[in-house]
Amino acid sequence: MKAAIGNPRVLIVGAGPAGLAAAAELARSGVSDVLIIDRDDSPGGLPRFCHHPGFGLEYARWPYSGPAFAKKMLGQLQDTPVRISMGTTLLSIENGPVCEVIGPEFGHAQLEPQVVIVATGIREANRGNRVVPGVRPAQGILTTGLLQQLVHRNVSLPSYLRRLVVVGTEHVSFSAILTARHAGIRVVALIGADERVQSYSAAGWLARALGINIHLRSEIVSIAGTSERVEAVRVRKDRVTRDIACDGVLFSAGWIPETVALANGPMLIDAMTKGPIVDQAMRTSIPGVFAAGNVLRGVETSGFAALEGKRAGAMAAMAVAGKIPSGQARETRKMAQSRVPQHWDHSLPEPLELSDRWRPARFRDAYERQT
Amino acid sequence: MTSDFDIVVIGAGVVGTAIARDLSRFKLKVALLEARPDFGDESSKGNSALMTSGIEIAPDSLEYRLVQRGYARYLEEAPALGLPMRKVGALTLAWSDEQCAILEEEFERVRALGHQDFYRLESAEIYSRWPNFGPGIRMALWAPEEGIADPFSTPYAYVLDAVTNGVEFRHSWPVQSVDRLQNGWALHSADRNVVRARLVINASGLRADIVEALAGYNDFEMRPRRGQYLVLDKAARAIHDVIAMPTPTPKGRGILISPTIFGNVIVGPTAEDVDDRDDRATTVDGIKLLKEAMATMVPGLTAIPVNTAYAGMRPATNYSDYRIIPRFDHDWLTVAGIRSTGFSGALGIAEHVIGLIVPHVFDVRPKGSLSPVSVPDLSEPSNRLLKNGERSGADPAYAEMLCHCECISVGEVRDALASPVPPQTIKGLKRRTRAMFGRCQGFYCGARVQAMFDERSKP
Repeated sequence: MKAAIGNPRVLIVGAGPAGLAAAAELARSGVSDVLIIDRDDSPGGLPRFCHHPGFGLEYARWPYSGPAFAKKMLGQLQDTPVRISMGTTLLSIENGPVCEVIGPEFGHAQLEPQVVIVATGIREANRGNRVVPGVRPAQGILTTGLLQQLVHRNVSLPSYLRRLVVVGTEHVSFSAILTARHAGIRVVALIGADERVQSYSAAGWLARALGINIHLRSEIVSIAGTSERVEAVRVRKDRVTRDIACDGVLFSAGWIPETVALANGPMLIDAMTKGPIVDQAMRTSIPGVFAAGNVLRGVETSGFAALEGKRAGAMAAMAVAGKIPSGQARETRKMAQSRVPQHWDHSLPEPLELSDRWRPARFRDAYERQT
Repeated sequence: MTSDFDIVVIGAGVVGTAIARDLSRFKLKVALLEARPDFGDESSKGNSALMTSGIEIAPDSLEYRLVQRGYARYLEEAPALGLPMRKVGALTLAWSDEQCAILEEEFERVRALGHQDFYRLESAEIYSRWPNFGPGIRMALWAPEEGIADPFSTPYAYVLDAVTNGVEFRHSWPVQSVDRLQNGWALHSADRNVVRARLVINASGLRADIVEALAGYNDFEMRPRRGQYLVLDKAARAIHDVIAMPTPTPKGRGILISPTIFGNVIVGPTAEDVDDRDDRATTVDGIKLLKEAMATMVPGLTAIPVNTAYAGMRPATNYSDYRIIPRFDHDWLTVAGIRSTGFSGALGIAEHVIGLIVPHVFDVRPKGSLSPVSVPDLSEPSNRLLKNGERSGADPAYAEMLCHCECISVGEVRDALASPVPPQTIKGLKRRTRAMFGRCQGFYCGARVQAMFDERSKP
């Protein structure tokens, strides 16, 4: 590994809504040397793959389509000195902060920026993570993210895939329905564990109008079929099980923060959210490292993630200017070793006094109304 | 189309590929036939990946001898092939009086066989070294030489070595019927291809009985036994990094908890006799059993996320020992019933098979020169990253990560697609590179990996 030539002042990890919003805020604050790295082949994050409206509302006051919101976020960085390096993967963050990265631009290198903002986002729990028993064909068992990427990237889906069962009733589950329809796949059923649909009720009405059966208070028991393809899912509701014939199953939601590069490092991970522990200034337990967006927890909307990124950008700008301390390593209370990994910690960081100016507007307004 | 060979090996599992590799050392014309689209696509893909020295096997068996030899050869030959192996050691645990008695007896038995590197541990010693074990363990047997290895790259290295040194590998070539010739056999595939061989080696694992029946042999019955596993996230290795298993019962070795060479921890296998030898589905009951075993043995692991579950099928027969049956007056050699130690025993089995054939059946000389072969070491991401970093100066594709969980670069996937034994399915690509094997199971990279695979497969 080599030391990179030209360390950026601020390194942002992730070019999704939170990372891009943080970069825009840093640029606005006049911080000049900002580098965004993203391990994918194009910037914009997960909204890139969601070709339907509903993105960016809280941040941009308009329900853009996913790709349009991604484009808007990128547009904000035009004519700013912010650089984006695609195909660059963060491998680890150590105290310093020292970031180990690999990518076509840097090779395998160490970056030592003054400030880092982690905005690595989330992923969905797949069939394996949920330990749903049954057959394990190579194709036909999906997540929303995988289906949307396959469709977006024009990758062939199995030709027999005509009927899909979607597990989950969150916003993203309905996003999956829209993508499936776009790809010519009919969603035959939606399976939710709760009493009611977890997205807007209108989404439920729309789904029913499209002829989708919504099975609430239900859980998927197993996947039936052959080693080549899915043929049905077994669903249980009130101790009654029944089979729903289908050619594929899509697992939606069940959000997990993407912390692969943080797992073995010193950063404290919250046992509840599975994301980094941050304080009010979005500072993690590593001095100089901030975190924002859905890596902090699953799941908020893209607009909320962008707002959070903006806030982290503002905080990072203050840290760069020396107006707030960039944090200090904290002694942590160790959890019982056999229960959870050592880096999972429930203890809260030291509170930091911040002026109201740095509370997001929506919270500040509510606070002022109260007092 | 008809082609002629000296020897045809049916079945490219870990045993068939190891035999083909050893045969490639001689001046012989050899073909390796596989019914599935890829090598190692049945029993060899769903095992515990333990590299066992064989001490727990009944000493009067052929299995005992061949597993010991296979283990020794693996230690010797794996490094040159690029295959990783870690001696993590194995613990056999006892909770009850009965179990302690069984282990005491086992300890005396193994020591009497001359294995000195085998120990008996008391409760206090166990907990001081491995504090994360669940309560109540009274004693354990400690076999420090037991290891773990890469279950997918191992047959890959064997088949690649065999092909590089002259063996013809034909996948998607199920043997449909056989004709006895005056000197050897003619094998027919479903799509009317024919190969003729002076000697046939039946190493068709789970389907050995079907192939045997084609030639008119019915010496054993298959008793396929399914084993289900859970794969835990890499965070588990901080809690558990040793092969741990309960005291064996007459029914089998029981559910073990073991690190994998890739840094995960696996829990399994179950042992279920099933009617359908292709039924590699996981079940509600099976997974419940695995979770219970985990909660009893290493309760801390229950807090670790599960990456996935899988099931394998042991090609067991109604005999407990291997079924290696020479029928040289009929130009046929049966290598079957390699029930659950095939991964450790493969090189020993191959050596034994060669010993049966050369010089008695084929009086041939070894080849003068061989082309060395190695496969990428997929065990530790850190080693691979260093190598990728070095290579990326000349070719940036090695620095562009495709699978982020396992750190597999675009360059590595591209190389696997261009292999002399290229993957025919996306699962074949997955096993060659580990792309999509990580915690996200393809959420991030699945579409790009599929796109690269489709691109290669286009005419």
